[in-house]
Amino acid sequence: MDFAKSYAIAIKDVKEVFSSASIYGPMLGVPLFFAILLPVLTFYVAIYAAPAIASRILPEAVITAASVSNPNSLKFMLFFTVNVLGPVFLTMPILTASVIAADSFAGEKERKTSEALLSTSITIPEMLLGKIMASLIPTILLTVGVFALYGTITNALAFRAFGASLLPTVPWILMLLTSPFLAVATIGIVVLVSSHVRGIKEAQQISTLLVLPVLIMPFVSILGIADLTVAFFVYAIAALALIDVIIVYVGVKSFRKESIL
Amino acid sequence: MRNSSVANQISLKSVTKRFGRSAAIDGVTLSFKRGISVVLGPNGAGKSTLLRCIDGLYKVDSGSVSVLGFDPYVENEVKDRMSLLTDNYALYDYLSVKDNLRFFGRLYGLGDTQIMEVAHDILKELDALEYIGAKVYTLSRGTKQKIGLCRSMLNDPEVLLLDEPTAFLDVNSSGTVRRFMTDYARDGRTVVMVTQKIDEATRFNGRVVVIRKGGIVKDTTTTGLYSAVLDNALVNIRLAKEASAATLKRTPGFAGVLGNGSSALAIRVYHYSDINKAVRYLVDRGIPIVSIDYSEPLLESLFAKG
Repeated sequence: MDFAKSYAIAIKDVKEVFSSASIYGPMLGVPLFFAILLPVLTFYVAIYAAPAIASRILPEAVITAASVSNPNSLKFMLFFTVNVLGPVFLTMPILTASVIAADSFAGEKERKTSEALLSTSITIPEMLLGKIMASLIPTILLTVGVFALYGTITNALAFRAFGASLLPTVPWILMLLTSPFLAVATIGIVVLVSSHVRGIKEAQQISTLLVLPVLIMPFVSILGIADLTVAFFVYAIAALALIDVIIVYVGVKSFRKESIL
Repeated sequence: MRNSSVANQISLKSVTKRFGRSAAIDGVTLSFKRGISVVLGPNGAGKSTLLRCIDGLYKVDSGSVSVLGFDPYVENEVKDRMSLLTDNYALYDYLSVKDNLRFFGRLYGLGDTQIMEVAHDILKELDALEYIGAKVYTLSRGTKQKIGLCRSMLNDPEVLLLDEPTAFLDVNSSGTVRRFMTDYARDGRTVVMVTQKIDEATRFNGRVVVIRKGGIVKDTTTTGLYSAVLDNALVNIRLAKEASAATLKRTPGFAGVLGNGSSALAIRVYHYSDINKAVRYLVDRGIPIVSIDYSEPLLESLFAKG
């Protein structure tokens, strides 16, 4: 295993992604936009409309949590920040990893650059490692950045209004810790489907299906079906780790040179 | 360094490669020695598939491929000693030429300084050095083809596989690339080029393998190819000045006057040497010749009788 070759692949892929504004623009712009907009909206709702909105859209359990005058808004904001916004931001590692990985794997196939790549002495494990690094590292950095931004804005707003910070909480940190596992699962799916798709769009569409279970989380929480507690995230991380191992193992084992030709 | 001294640098034995039900390569047994060899065939003949099997990109369905004594599909180490230039130049459009060359050079285990030194020399020879800082997507197809050729030469390959290397080049650039290939092969390297143009195949005065529908139709030389191409063919001869109708009619193989005047004629030839007879006849009568050309037969019908 020549790690220098994997490193060369990773650097090349990252350079390629970040040299095209049409790829990195939406990938960076949308999360950054939401990281600023969503906490501000949450803050507005918590301060000015929490009781009224809560009584309309939230179940009894949440209304109870938000039913005491001033701490009311604080509790509402904490609930919304972690249980609703958290999962929304948790789609970032999936979306980002799918954009980069699809471009990295299916993009080589679509642009027919894989022929030159595979004409060198690089081995399949070296190539896969490089491409996984190229997809995973920017994804983690972006996710941490987005969580940090939305956490900072939330805290700044909460401190101004209530004189107290809301984040980080342990479930919020654990939620952040699930992001690498979600990213790996996404990349694994791209590796798996790369032999069955013709281009970037198909690979992206299939891998982004992973956002569906994540986007169900706010509703599960609001409806009181499950609480996004420490235990919930510990089990989620363990399950995702297992799923990652299976997906990546099957993806790597089933990967053939011809997959990306 | 297995078998670099073997006579056959590339050897295919009963190789079949299928895509679905159709065989792109069907039981081909073929070998290539040092020097330039051309594989000639029409679209869909299996030329590119043949190169990709030799390069180890495709796993063959049956038979075996050996390059410098290695199986290129399994034994990756041989890839450092060979190279493939595909017909689509295979460069990363959003990276600069320099970044592309550095990337591929690193995969060949070269240091950045060495990569740029080699690239500088090759690009200079190909008259493309000025584009080294440009993003690939800003370049013309011909320039991309030159950069692609440079990329495939970075590792100084012993075996160079070229898929239509002059397809998008102008006349001057095509000549430069051909000269480059000839010089390279003269150094004891093995160069295999595929093309669908008879004219291109005859430029190297060497071996020509004609393939069609995945099988070898003829393993011949430039001379053999000319014999086939100029068998019962019409050749047009243009003269620098008008000649009398009687003189033209007595030209060996005379088949008719071209145009309104009498400064061009067509002759029918059955062997390339017939052209010499006609030319000698005209020159002996003080009639200077400006050009000689012929219509290439369809590749599909060339060597139809095998």
